[in-house]
Amino acid sequence: MEIQLDFVSAETLARKGSAEKISFILDKIKRNIIVVLEEALEPQEEAELIEATMREIDAEEFHGIEFYRIDSRAKGLREKIAEYIAGRRHGITIVGPTRLIEAIKREPDYISMLAKVDIPQEEKKKKGGE
Amino acid sequence: MLSELKKSLQKLLKIFNRKKQIQLGFYGPVNAGKTTLANRISLDWLGKEVGTVSEVPHETRHVQKIENIVVTTNNGELKMNIVDMPGIATQVDYKSFKAFGMSEEDAKARAREATKGVIEAIKWLDNVDAVLVVLDSTQDPYTQVNVTIIGNLEARGIPMIIVANKIDLPEANPDSIASAFPQHVVVPISAATGENIEKLYEAIQEHLT
Ligand SMILES: Nc1nc2c(ncn2[C@@H]2O[C@H](COP(=O)(O)OP(=O)(O)OP(=O)(O)O)[C@@H](O)[C@H]2O)c(=O)[nH]1
Ligand SMILES: [Mg+2]
Repeated sequence: MEIQLDFVSAETLARKGSAEKISFILDKIKRNIIVVLEEALEPQEEAELIEATMREIDAEEFHGIEFYRIDSRAKGLREKIAEYIAGRRHGITIVGPTRLIEAIKREPDYISMLAKVDIPQEEKKKKGGE
Repeated sequence: MLSELKKSLQKLLKIFNRKKQIQLGFYGPVNAGKTTLANRISLDWLGKEVGTVSEVPHETRHVQKIENIVVTTNNGELKMNIVDMPGIATQVDYKSFKAFGMSEEDAKARAREATKGVIEAIKWLDNVDAVLVVLDSTQDPYTQVNVTIIGNLEARGIPMIIVANKIDLPEANPDSIASAFPQHVVVPISAATGENIEKLYEAIQEHLT
């Protein structure tokens, strides 16, 4: 099977408000796309993302998300102000549907993502029939 | 003169604040032992248990309030309402409940309730004064759910204590929780056996009031 990863630039994300950003992400996730954002989501955005995910979960198609934020936050005041003005936090956020992502785990020197490569038989059949 | 006045005002305020009950929210991932802890505290001070505990995830699917708990420690009295939250998760798969012997229909209903419970718990972030973040010491502490919960509390300026639960289990590693969140107070306990629970009461008194 194919796995699609979409990379979204910080510039694109900066143009979106929180709500728009979250529906943009979820829309991709629900189409079985793994999304890599060139920014660290804010904790409040993460809470909103979880909330929105919970609203979208249904028994048949969508069981939720796995995500992981890697922060490389500005340390000095200057950088912090620059970050604030740019309206984003430096880092990366990976978000994907649980049906594709087995786990995202923090190792001492890196983040490891384990993807599932085979879809269950019944889902394959359904896909073929569409 | 002015500083005297300020001091007595502050004293007054402190007494006033102490009278106020704190709303103490219990947050954490599913199955960490939030309800077990709420029951223990309730049993200790009110003489009764209040919530159901289960090895099946998402046992608590509605916010449950335990009101008017008065805890006494060496440092005095502490009045609080406990708000036991549904566990936070980023996914709910009804099939995982079927593994516990639930029917398809019951499992689907539980999943639906579980998703609502997570939303309810998140909404409640705006109504708590302080939080115990309950984590399972036998699990990897560095999960996104834990990071998101703690990040949200930090962003809102809500004081918290991290409870490293289940230290009665041989594989428990509360130190890994302390090193994952070095900026916070971590109290290792066992909600099941009551081990170290006094330390938790003292920490609440010291850090959350
Ligand atoms: N060994 C051990 N088991 C515990 C302890 N605390 C809770 N448990 C067990 O962990 C499981 C989950 O406990 P709950 O109190 O239901 O956990 P919860 O955090 O309220 O879970 P949800 O409501 O589903 O989010 C149950 O099987 C408990 O018996 C503990 O200190 N030690
Ligand atoms: Mg519970």
